[in-house]
Amino acid sequence: MNIGTRKILDRSFTAVGIGSIVVMAVALMIVVVPIITNGIGAVFFTGTVEHRKMLFSEFKRGDSENLSSEVASSERYRAKVYGMLTGFEAELETMAPEKKAEYKTKYSEVRTALQALLGPLPGDQEPMLTRFKYGQTRWEKAEEKLHDLLYESKWDNSNPEVMAKEYFVSRAIGFEGTSLVKLFPYVKDNLDKMLLPEFTVYWGFITDSSVDSHFFGGIWPEIQGTFFLAIGAMLFAFPLGVVAAVYFTEYAKPGFLNSMLRSANSTLAGVPSIVFGMFGLAFFINTLKVSESKSVIAGALTLAIMILPTIIRAAEEAILAVPKTYREASLSLGSTKWNTIATVILPAALPGILTGGVISLGRAAGETAPIIFTAAVSVGSAIGLADVLSSPTPALSWNIYNLASEHEAAAQIRHVQYGMVLALVSIVLMLNLSAIVLRARISKKLKG
Amino acid sequence: MLAQMKFHSYTVAAYLAFNFKRKRIETMIKKFLLLVVLLAVSLSATAGAAVGTLVLDGSTTVGPLAKTFAAYFTKKYGVRVTVSESGSGNGAKSLINGSCTIATMSRAMKAAEIAAARQKGVNPVASVVALDGLAMVVHPANPVRSLTKAQISSIYRGSITNWREVGGPNARIVVIQRESNSGTEESFKELVIGKGVAIIGSAETQSSNGSVKSRVSTTLSAIGFLGHGFVDGSVKVIAVNGILPTVTTVKNGTYPVSRPLYFYTNGQPSGVVKQFVDLPKSPEGKRMITELGFINR
Repeated sequence: MNIGTRKILDRSFTAVGIGSIVVMAVALMIVVVPIITNGIGAVFFTGTVEHRKMLFSEFKRGDSENLSSEVASSERYRAKVYGMLTGFEAELETMAPEKKAEYKTKYSEVRTALQALLGPLPGDQEPMLTRFKYGQTRWEKAEEKLHDLLYESKWDNSNPEVMAKEYFVSRAIGFEGTSLVKLFPYVKDNLDKMLLPEFTVYWGFITDSSVDSHFFGGIWPEIQGTFFLAIGAMLFAFPLGVVAAVYFTEYAKPGFLNSMLRSANSTLAGVPSIVFGMFGLAFFINTLKVSESKSVIAGALTLAIMILPTIIRAAEEAILAVPKTYREASLSLGSTKWNTIATVILPAALPGILTGGVISLGRAAGETAPIIFTAAVSVGSAIGLADVLSSPTPALSWNIYNLASEHEAAAQIRHVQYGMVLALVSIVLMLNLSAIVLRARISKKLKG
Repeated sequence: MLAQMKFHSYTVAAYLAFNFKRKRIETMIKKFLLLVVLLAVSLSATAGAAVGTLVLDGSTTVGPLAKTFAAYFTKKYGVRVTVSESGSGNGAKSLINGSCTIATMSRAMKAAEIAAARQKGVNPVASVVALDGLAMVVHPANPVRSLTKAQISSIYRGSITNWREVGGPNARIVVIQRESNSGTEESFKELVIGKGVAIIGSAETQSSNGSVKSRVSTTLSAIGFLGHGFVDGSVKVIAVNGILPTVTTVKNGTYPVSRPLYFYTNGQPSGVVKQFVDLPKSPEGKRMITELGFINR
């Protein structure tokens, strides 16, 4: 091949390489940027007085004097709205029956929109569900609800051949000529005075339990469950994995059985995680009965089996990478085989073994499928260490799925879902980072 | 030879130096273990022990009710309640295997399931939680307001494939159903298209009420069915045989696609389980049911 062609080939290969790195970086940005920006919104947001009310009555947090003065100032503006409502209700009574019926439906829609915005109105029965006890706790949601109050969504059906198009009609027009017409501009202009938005940092999102299936409160039980499951899986998988790796590298004699075991191990590494989930249900819960119901221990065992092949492979590689001279030196000094393994080979292989272990820990924390049937529930309180043998737990990975698809009001609590995603991604990232740091430190110490 | 000897002495020296460092690594490992133990202790310290645990498993339709009752029950009696939403079929299986205390189901148990339960010494006892109108939903842009049961059945069997045939615009109907594990799917089949009749193969399967709702609310020509408690402004409920599902029509049975929701227990409930199962009959329970959009019996 002449030198010109070679140069062209070389350059085009470089270009392809750089190109693929750029594509990867862009893809990563597309994934990570929304996770971070939206996820941070769960902790840092513009909170309204309703948020502070909720914190005070559900979690006993906040300054009661400050809060009551805030509530008093917001009530001054709200009182006018309530006054308009009672005024209109009185006006309704004086109307002709047909007109009254017509306005009544429209009025009840206005009331519902106001309830969503400001919380229960005077005269309403105290709601049982916490989600209805407060108005909008977040300002951006309050603005959406304000739009719902000001405009009614209608669908244009004029052309029967195509699907209708949405358009918005001002509700104020519908109340033209009545006293209620003044309500709409008033609420629009004074919403900030009624809800008192201010920049809020809600660390409780990480440390609180959820209230009313994630409408309010935080995700602590999920975070804790994730830790329990991941650490539990490690407690089973790590010692077993290292012992198995020592067997494979030091004791096993090459032969049919050994190669069978090795290929079984590689196959296990490629099995889809849902299969482990079903296996965990059938084996640990239904056959071995490690617990009455789903439980942390059943989930941890299932995850342990899932990550075992990875740990074995990583440990094997690490042990094989220990220079042969170490072993020879140890044996030549009269040490036994077992002593050599325990005091020379394993410590030298430790960085590699630990890296494999921590990366598996990250995988165990992030997996959903193995815990669906063995450990995860959509609602449950935080559990103590004593309960891991008998209780199931909420866990981040499963609850993200649950909030995304099964929750009855998924669209209203997207911020919680994003917050959970960010929490999970951060946990996995932190674990991987700590693996890198640990590895670096141990190798440095080994080199001296 | 000399080189080899040199090499050997170098290895021994390296080993000795290495053995010396090993102690430091051991202390590091000890520190790490200590950290893990500390973390575990601090985790366990945050949660107090609860009196007992109720484990609920089953229907996603009953999910909102179960979750709300669970939160209320835990607050009032200090009994921990966990809720999983994995489908009615799974709820039944869990009860049969003894891995849940209460199976939440949006359909009655089938004869085969009851037989399987008996074989394992489980005696499933049903108690009705609430009534639910199975709402037929379409995208709000769809001008169709009402369908007859026969029309819906034809759509799901595949003999009607375009909205034009039922008075709508010219658009292919995207049929959405639930997975085979779902009690809602079973109820729908039983109430609308008849047992044993197959749903068209091109129908899309969604795994929960929530995902049916989000699919319908983003697809102009879709049709699907939802538990009444899941309906919100993002989808349009259409009338079946001219009747919309409301509290009145579901309660008096005029709405043709309604069904009860169940809590199944092993044997007659007693103690805490009975307290929980009786919750829907209490005034507070009834109000929670209403606020969640379900219908009291």
